[in-house]
Amino acid sequence: MSQSIANISRGSHIGRIIVIARHAFTQLVRMKVFYFLAVFAVIAIASNFFDLPQHEGPESIGVNVLRSIKSWSLGTMTLFSVVLSIVATALLLPKDVEDRTLYTILAKPVPRIDYLAGKLLGVLMLVFVSLALMNVLMVVVLQIRTSIVLEQQLDMAKALNWPKEAIDSLKLETAANGPTWSLQGAVFAVFLRASIMASLALLISTFSTSTLFTTIISFLIYFIGHFQADVRDAYLQAGQAGEGVFARLVSLVLSLVMPDFQNFNVIDAVIEGQTMPLLILGKLTLIGLYYAIFFTIASWFVFAEKEF
Amino acid sequence: MAEKTPAVEITSLVKDFKTSFRKQMLRAVDGVSIRIMPGEVYGLIGPNGSGKSTTMKALLGLVAPTSGTCAIFGKDSLKVDSRNDVGFLPENPYFYKHLSGVETLKFYGKLCGLKGKVLEDRVSELLALVDLEGARDRRIGGYSKGMLQRIGLAQALVQEPRLVILDEPTAGVDPIGSRQIRDLIFKLRERGITVFLCSHLLEQVQEVCDHVGIIFKGKMVKEGRLEDLIAIEDQTEFIIKDASPELVSRIKELVTSSAGASLVRTGKPRTTLERLFLRETSNREEDS
Repeated sequence: MSQSIANISRGSHIGRIIVIARHAFTQLVRMKVFYFLAVFAVIAIASNFFDLPQHEGPESIGVNVLRSIKSWSLGTMTLFSVVLSIVATALLLPKDVEDRTLYTILAKPVPRIDYLAGKLLGVLMLVFVSLALMNVLMVVVLQIRTSIVLEQQLDMAKALNWPKEAIDSLKLETAANGPTWSLQGAVFAVFLRASIMASLALLISTFSTSTLFTTIISFLIYFIGHFQADVRDAYLQAGQAGEGVFARLVSLVLSLVMPDFQNFNVIDAVIEGQTMPLLILGKLTLIGLYYAIFFTIASWFVFAEKEF
Repeated sequence: MAEKTPAVEITSLVKDFKTSFRKQMLRAVDGVSIRIMPGEVYGLIGPNGSGKSTTMKALLGLVAPTSGTCAIFGKDSLKVDSRNDVGFLPENPYFYKHLSGVETLKFYGKLCGLKGKVLEDRVSELLALVDLEGARDRRIGGYSKGMLQRIGLAQALVQEPRLVILDEPTAGVDPIGSRQIRDLIFKLRERGITVFLCSHLLEQVQEVCDHVGIIFKGKMVKEGRLEDLIAIEDQTEFIIKDASPELVSRIKELVTSSAGASLVRTGKPRTTLERLFLRETSNREEDS
């Protein structure tokens, strides 16, 4: 046998994680998940036709359709990214155990954290690429539609003899409803939310016995995440119950382990044409990173002790 | 220079599993000790559910021992670095169906830190070794059972481990495929690779192994060199070349006239590993 192999380095953590991530990505791509992009294209184009007739003035022409495109596109992105991140993560681990491919991987010098991190990264790569492709489609559709809307608005404004300042302000207002950096921030926020869900699904799948169980529980937590902050506030403000140290502690622990998706409501503000401050985007990134790392480490604790 | 560190050292391994009801403990492996020196081919045989696979999984760190220790070339099995020197082929493995033969070997090679030309060369070398060069770019999903076992063996060997663990390597494989895998085990032995295998196919174990252990209901009931184990203790065999009929009849007369000795038959006394196995396990069945 060749001497070269005996002397090679046994690889780094990062190297192994990337190998497993690329493999998980290829595995999911070959499951033909990208077919849903065709569905997205149909939705992005169809959202062009959801225009409510409003003819009060030039400023309202076509603005609704721009909002409709953003709303439908970001809504579909959220749906696909959350479903993809939960289902793909819930599928990968049990499949490896069932097919015994996990034995062959863990029988190699692969630490279990590398395996988990690699699988998670593979799913996130898939979600990222999917969102990037959907984003390109949305921006193209939105750009074309914005220029059409702007043209119509300018024609009408000129016909009504609007002053130059008013026309400039109209241009800015309409452009804010087109493809903006805030919109890119919103897409990134959608990715962050999907990342939290993927890492949560990873944690659940380390102790769950089936893909179905992981999927159902993950979706339940996703929905709870949208109103848990309200429940906590209501509980803390409901008279004496919320005044105790214990109640506050429970509330704090709950917020540390259960993601509060109300933080992501800024996406709706972007659909309305508002700008997303960098500070908010930074905060969302930190929240996303915190939960993704927290759930991955928790998964490792469970998975490290798991027997096959 | 002969290596002193055993390739495998399992010491008083005990493994209990919780059963789903009433949390009763089920003892899958009960005080098993195995020592395999480098270059040996060791066969672990036993009926279904006797603890063979659990022993192998404990050696690979896939299950943690309840008590006792497992080590590969002196390194604790629970530590990741012990896996640098071991290749494993699980029973009925299903590899990733979306990958081709080459991609599969590259994936496992990269996990072991191989890359570039070293990896390319190693993959080609292994595909030639397991006779799958013709199917290198075909998806694993289209492989036959025998081909799957061979690509499985190739992935086990990808980082040139000094120890290979094979769990039922020929289960469900047709006689031709089975013969190919047996030949591969011979090749590994020639290369000085230690092989630890478990199988139901006793004839095959008898053919390839130089040491065997019989495990029954979690306990090691017989272990040793194959040649010693299948020898019949109270019989003596002479193998005489070119014996004349006169010599044979004189020996027969001598035996008949000796007190306490009797001639069982002339010819070669034979037993099989299968007979030994059945005798050892049926005695234990009656006792329990």
